[in-house]
Amino acid sequence: AAYSVMLRLPAVSRALVGVSQSKSCLAPSSSVRLSIRASSNLVEVFVDGKPVMVEPGTTVLQACEKVGAQIPRFCYHDRLSVAGNCRMCLVEIERAPKPVAACAMPVMKGWNILTNSEKTRKAREGVMEFLLSNHPLDCPICDQGGECDLQDQSLMFGADRSRFTEGKRAVEDKNIGPLIKTIMTRCIQCTRCVRFASEIAGVEDLGTTGRGNDMQIGTYVEKMFMSELSGNVIDICPVGALTSKPYAFTSRPWETRKTESVDVLDAMGSNIVVSTRGGEVMRILPRLNEDVNEEWISDKTRFAYDGLKRQRLTQPMVKSASGDLVTTSWEDALTRVAGVLQGAHGSDVAAIAGGLADAEALMALKDLLNKLNSDTLCTEEVFPMTGAGTDLRSNYLLNSRITGIEECDLLLLIGTNPRYEAPLFNARIRKSWLHNELQVALVGHQVDLSYSYNHLGDSTQVLQDIAAGTHPYCQVLAMAKRPVVVVGSATLQRSDGAAIMKAVSTIAQNARTSSGVEDGWKVLNVLHRVASQVAALDLGYKPGVEAIRNNCPKVVFLLGADAGCITRQDLPKETFIIYQGHHGDVGAPMADVILPGAAYTEKKATYVNTEGRAQQTRVAVSPPGLAREDWKIIRAISELAGVSLPYDSTDEVRHRLAEVAPNLVRYDDVEEANYFRQANELSQTVNQALLADPLIPPQLSVKDFYMTDSISRASQTMAKCVKAVTEGAQAVEEPAIC
Amino acid sequence: MATTAATRAAGGAAKAVKPIFSRDVDEAKRRARELYRAWYREVPNTVCIYQLDITTQQGREKLREMFNKNKHVTDPRVVDMLVIKGKMELQETINVWKQKTHIMRYFHESETPRPTDFLSKFYTGHDP
Amino acid sequence: MLSFSRVLVGSAVRAPTAAIAVSQCGTTSITRFNSTAAQQDKPKKTKFGPLADQDRIFTNLYGRHDWRLKGALSRGDWYKTKEILLKGVDWILNEIKVSGLRGRGGAGFPTGMKWGFMNKPSDGRPKYLVVNADEGEPGTCKDREIMRNDPHKLVEGCLIAGRAMGARAAYIYIRGEFYNESSNLQVAINEAYAAGLIGQNACCSGYDFDVYVARGAGAYICGEETALIESIEGKQGKPRLKPPFPADVGVFGCPTTVANVETVSVAPAICRRGGSWFATFGRERNSGTKLFNISGHVNTPCTVEEEMSIPLKELIERHAGGVRGGWDNLLCVIPGGSSTPLIPRSVCDDVLMDFDGLIQAQTGLGTAALIVMDKSTDVIRAIARLIEFYKHESCGQCTPCREGVDWMNKMMWRFVKGDAREAEIDMIWEISKQIEGHTICALGDGAAWPVQGLIRHFRPIMESRIAEFRQMKQATA
Repeated sequence: AAYSVMLRLPAVSRALVGVSQSKSCLAPSSSVRLSIRASSNLVEVFVDGKPVMVEPGTTVLQACEKVGAQIPRFCYHDRLSVAGNCRMCLVEIERAPKPVAACAMPVMKGWNILTNSEKTRKAREGVMEFLLSNHPLDCPICDQGGECDLQDQSLMFGADRSRFTEGKRAVEDKNIGPLIKTIMTRCIQCTRCVRFASEIAGVEDLGTTGRGNDMQIGTYVEKMFMSELSGNVIDICPVGALTSKPYAFTSRPWETRKTESVDVLDAMGSNIVVSTRGGEVMRILPRLNEDVNEEWISDKTRFAYDGLKRQRLTQPMVKSASGDLVTTSWEDALTRVAGVLQGAHGSDVAAIAGGLADAEALMALKDLLNKLNSDTLCTEEVFPMTGAGTDLRSNYLLNSRITGIEECDLLLLIGTNPRYEAPLFNARIRKSWLHNELQVALVGHQVDLSYSYNHLGDSTQVLQDIAAGTHPYCQVLAMAKRPVVVVGSATLQRSDGAAIMKAVSTIAQNARTSSGVEDGWKVLNVLHRVASQVAALDLGYKPGVEAIRNNCPKVVFLLGADAGCITRQDLPKETFIIYQGHHGDVGAPMADVILPGAAYTEKKATYVNTEGRAQQTRVAVSPPGLAREDWKIIRAISELAGVSLPYDSTDEVRHRLAEVAPNLVRYDDVEEANYFRQANELSQTVNQALLADPLIPPQLSVKDFYMTDSISRASQTMAKCVKAVTEGAQAVEEPAIC
Repeated sequence: MATTAATRAAGGAAKAVKPIFSRDVDEAKRRARELYRAWYREVPNTVCIYQLDITTQQGREKLREMFNKNKHVTDPRVVDMLVIKGKMELQETINVWKQKTHIMRYFHESETPRPTDFLSKFYTGHDP
Repeated sequence: MLSFSRVLVGSAVRAPTAAIAVSQCGTTSITRFNSTAAQQDKPKKTKFGPLADQDRIFTNLYGRHDWRLKGALSRGDWYKTKEILLKGVDWILNEIKVSGLRGRGGAGFPTGMKWGFMNKPSDGRPKYLVVNADEGEPGTCKDREIMRNDPHKLVEGCLIAGRAMGARAAYIYIRGEFYNESSNLQVAINEAYAAGLIGQNACCSGYDFDVYVARGAGAYICGEETALIESIEGKQGKPRLKPPFPADVGVFGCPTTVANVETVSVAPAICRRGGSWFATFGRERNSGTKLFNISGHVNTPCTVEEEMSIPLKELIERHAGGVRGGWDNLLCVIPGGSSTPLIPRSVCDDVLMDFDGLIQAQTGLGTAALIVMDKSTDVIRAIARLIEFYKHESCGQCTPCREGVDWMNKMMWRFVKGDAREAEIDMIWEISKQIEGHTICALGDGAAWPVQGLIRHFRPIMESRIAEFRQMKQATA
């Protein structure tokens, strides 16, 4: 032991020890070792004889991973509590009578962990044999085939033949909703899904019933697994017991091409992998990003991809004399658009950006309109412009970042339902609530957030009282060491948004002062709902379409504006509406010209999430039909309209982006934003009264969660989910096969 | 592109490099001329055998064009290699191991030029 | 948390006696803990049992007298309990240590040491004593006799044991089927509360101590200490992973000691009569008196309190009226409840009924519930029935037990018919070895050992059964 420690000493002491070692004198080396122990408080253990220093309390499995020795496991998962029930991770400890479960056993000083000894291998082989004894041999028809832990590990650690000649157990499948297909005979009772549901998702829907060999995973009574994060159990299931229903029997993992991308269906910017085969999106899987989504994604992110294949705009369309939209060529459509634009200048032209627009398209559209001497560029989402408005970036970002939730001790949510507006943000809150004893309070409609919170009421009066310091909760707020205040952008859509923002800003500023937290700590946060908003505000778009309603422009350019915040009736009859987007949703039917754009899986584009984190999507499939990448369409229009934009490639657009807002091209990086005090001072100038209406976010229950944008509205899977949560899982028709 | 890179590489270590056939540039040029002559004589036969819809004159112009394409090459090793390739082509042509389309590929009849300006590219397809 | 587990592992490695026990019994991996107090100078006692009447602790084992407080007082329960309590923690613990009492629930862990684990400086959490009265082991019926006929012994034991470990309260987890026992126990507790013996200022000692009864729902696995804790907490009775041991994180997250009814019930007698008195019975490291249950093919099945280390033959002959049809008619005995391996007659002739003696015979004392089988027994069927019990009672949490015991059960019933191959005997041996020591709790071991005992001693019978079946099949074909 002494020798192995020496190897880890710094060079000088190593030289000293080397001398003493040559004389085989132990005294100096052991004194050095003691000093090291005392200073670092680490425990030395050995993995197959290799020494490693670990923190006390480290499990055997973690110690093994530290030296790169992989221990097979089924029930153990980094982000879930330790169950220790699969027994696959049994390893021998030298001089211990029994093998220990590596996932659960904390290491002791001086242990020699034998990860590949005869006893260890025998133990694994035994467990593997037991696991396979009742596992059906249906790998050829199992959707997990090729990415199955049981397959892989039985190849690595199992015996080469079966001795089991008895009858196999069969378990009835359960209908737990339109997303997750269960083949319960394949279940190895690792309980990962149960632990995921109760720990991460915060719903106690899943559990075990029965005993011994009859133990089953299920929902106790036949019901739907009602969680917005339910799809993640498909990923964590080590076998094919829980698989994706929409993906069932469609492709094999080795056939698909994987493209690393970013989700845009909420403002979180979850990192995803898009699996494609032959120009078709087969499925969407999460990609690890500790700062954003860890390794989870919401059900909308995962399952709305079938909306990418339906209701798509594949050809340019123009309104004929009879008022019908007829397909045409790009030349025709673009010429018309250019002609209209050439005839209109200045305030005659206006643009509205929707929630799925990427930064490149926003940039191109802004440049185009600016060249036409117009600056009427709006976003569908409203943000109060009085006070600091969008001038100070800190005023509209989730400044604390998603990971900041794990460091705070008090969280005040205002007028938001993060569970459905940003499910992974909510998962973070729950994680912190579970492990760090985070206190949560909510001003707004009382909703089920999957954790307990202090509900302060839903009236704006509460907000005012807290801001004024007269509410009883202020005492709690004042005790907080690291407070965080999050206001939902949904609430800021109200006509008294500025007053709400003023109150929130004051609450945050007061909390900051009373907590005495260091300057770098962010208190005020805005939780956005749509993916494009932060980039649009960074680029100087004006939130809200009020300006357009008032100005009556001659030409309106809708860039994926599908929230229905402006209708044909809001505009003069002769207004020419151009719709550019990828779905025939709310915006397209009222347009005079439709320009088919690309969805997020079809373009290399920049999105900025609610934290202000720039991330990029990548081309997984090419746009369908004649659809084109969005910025290119605008670039083409500009050329025909005689105001050519000075960029021809994505890199050049991004160069232009960097000129306007450099943070937009610093990918995976969050630009610090500050000036909270100044923002608060500016907000004091707001002279608006709070309305009496209660603060009710638009997404209250899970049925409001599934269909929120043009892609998820086009998705059949999402429609099934809505039907299943309203009418019960049985209401959704299932295919007869398996 | 490849030729220039090879030339540069060869120039950098010229002394140590083993020659393929030719000891100096003059010898390499001689081999190139010999190949040119052989091709020149073969063109009428080719037009006849393959029943090409071109005149001998056009064939010889193409021949000249192909040789001119590499006239900047000065490294004897590269010249030798090009000559070797040219000889292979010639042999395949003489022995009718090629078909008519293979010969006509020298004339790029079926290829349309790729668009270069943004708008044309936009109309053509998705790729930049 | 860590320091405790270190102590435990350290003791297991260090204790030379444990190592000897393992080496002596060769292949078996049954390890039992031994108390370290060894007295060398005393002359060795060579004859054990029968127990004199005045040395009996459970004087109302057969319910012939009043089990209520009045009767209990007349039998000496609650006599000067206050003085025992006032002598202090160290004194009680020392008496228990001197007595050499080992846990009566099956594992035989030295009780003094176990209770001593609780005497760490408090971190603010209350400590609890949990009494395991979930007596579900087939063949075992000792605790129910205590609770039915001498419940005050248990209640008083709870108080003294609770005092020894500084516990705030005791939870007695009683098996759901024991209706009468739990009702008697509850009556006894109520009486004790009414008499001021427990509750606030128990026995006027200034020590507050509550006793609660929790009734189980009849699952064998809830007799495992951590599963029992889960069950008390209202969860599914599934064993927890250890570490953390209950002494660190037990019931409701507080330090807890789980002790068997008999262990707790003898504590008052030990304190009253002295640990050295208790230590005079039985062999070294196996001291004390013990309740033995003798069932099966004997003339008078009974539960009897006897001295430890009494020879098995004497125990059966004296108390159970001998084996049905005489000693020569004996086939085998399961000496310690269903989870211990059986021993054939040849071993039974001279084996001593104590922890070490039975480990040497490749079995264990367990709960000292002898199941006697005479030659009319189909021993394969008997073991198959036991495995079916374990299959039924497996909690299903961990893989080897869930899948392995079911597999063994299916195979055992084929062995009963003989519908198997000889090679499968080795296979089931291997399977049992794959279960043993690989599970979370000891139920897996308990299910594996009977099969191992069967194969160890009755392999020829299994082989001849297979041969018979094959012949029969050939004849009909």
